[in-house]
Amino acid sequence: MARVRPIERAVGADRLARWHATGGRYVIGLVSAHALAITWGYAVTAHTNPVSETATLLTTYPDVLMATVAWFLLLGVGLVSARAVRRKMSYETWYYLHLYTYLAIAFAFSHQFADGAAFTSSLAARFWWSALYLVVAALVIWYRIAVPARDFARHQFRVAGVRQETPRTFSIYIKGRHLSELAAAPGQFFRWRFLTRDLWWQSHPYSLSAVPSDELMRITVQDVRGRSSALASLKPGTRVIAEGPFGAFFPDRSGRSVLLLAGGVGITPLRAMFAALGGKVTLIYRASTWQDIVFQAELDAIAEARGATVHYLVGSRQDLGGDPLSATALRRLAPGLQRMDVYLCGPPGMTGTAVAALTEAGVPRRRIHFESFEF
Amino acid sequence: MRRAILAIIATAAGIVALLSFKTHSAERTVVPPTPTASLPPGERAIAGNVANTVYGPVQIQLVVDASKIVKVNILEQPSSTQEDMQIGQYALPRLIAETLTAQSARIDAVSGATYTSNGYIQSLQSALDNGA
Repeated sequence: MARVRPIERAVGADRLARWHATGGRYVIGLVSAHALAITWGYAVTAHTNPVSETATLLTTYPDVLMATVAWFLLLGVGLVSARAVRRKMSYETWYYLHLYTYLAIAFAFSHQFADGAAFTSSLAARFWWSALYLVVAALVIWYRIAVPARDFARHQFRVAGVRQETPRTFSIYIKGRHLSELAAAPGQFFRWRFLTRDLWWQSHPYSLSAVPSDELMRITVQDVRGRSSALASLKPGTRVIAEGPFGAFFPDRSGRSVLLLAGGVGITPLRAMFAALGGKVTLIYRASTWQDIVFQAELDAIAEARGATVHYLVGSRQDLGGDPLSATALRRLAPGLQRMDVYLCGPPGMTGTAVAALTEAGVPRRRIHFESFEF
Repeated sequence: MRRAILAIIATAAGIVALLSFKTHSAERTVVPPTPTASLPPGERAIAGNVANTVYGPVQIQLVVDASKIVKVNILEQPSSTQEDMQIGQYALPRLIAETLTAQSARIDAVSGATYTSNGYIQSLQSALDNGA
């Protein structure tokens, strides 16, 4: 994945990740079909059986053994990405196993030129095919290594401090230089790598939870089952590699009124937008307990300063006397909803039901914006 | 961390093992042309024309005793890929055997090697024409 910034910004990181997964499934399917079909086909023309043809292919065809290993690596990567297996491993284990895809691509390359009739006979075909590989390699190196390294040197990101927000959430302030050059929009996120002995090998995607200034950015983290607890004890001064900004989740300045709809820790990107948006803005913040409400003081202050409205919907459905995010309830909380742009961020279940309710309330699908934060 | 180091070492070892693997390519049926001078008295060599196929050129050489074909040498065969070699390895000995039996260019193509067969027959026909 090259994470080409303009594409990430136009399409959205979540949608790109889904395309990437779909593309991956096609690649594995086609590669498997290729390996099986060519073994069978060659066995037919060589008047032998597929088993002995397999042996012939592996031992006498140049680089076919390497390509076969590449195929198995791809199958392995596909296997660990299958939902059932993926859930059982940590993000990092999964991520590092995914890197074997690069090895697979390298292993599979040479057999194409050594054995492919279309390539052995045509220098032009070899040239253009290699050129495609080189362009992709250059994009990967540029966007995954060169740009983050350049930003690291230019902006000198460091932890400025950590603040506990609620029993389960805390904010990390990151300072740096010339941060406005990053042109990060409220709603976008970075991939953060904190350079301590235990954390440097993990990269965490977190949205900005406040409008960034030229020297300070803020992210807010919810600790789920102790997985992010190490981040809470980050020392000020810790160096940080920030890769980004990413994501297509930011307001498009259409001038329409805006409804921000947050569920739980999904408030973070909306908190940044809430402060940045002009015009008429309504924020609806759904949480199961008051303890889970983050930034209440900040949100109230912003609302007061700019005459915006905040609705906190706290408690279980039972406490609230029905679904607080039904079409009727939303229409009542945000009058004129049909003509608004809606930005939605929350857990996957809430996102699904909220989109359905908003559609029912008459908001056109193209004006409902959301980004799902599952990686 | 220990797991990661082990994985990196295992991967590196795997890469080295894989790169050091040597393939044993199929043997070519191709031989250098036999000059008539080196043949027993009475025999002579007749080269066929080069027949171009989509997979590459085919050229044969006949060794005849009076008007009897006693041997067929393959001077060129499609060999740009290992698959071409594998197909030639199967088809060419059969084409040669057919030629020795038929004593003419009226032989059947080998299935799965249509282009190579046609090139072979074309070159064979030209050799017969040249020799007549």
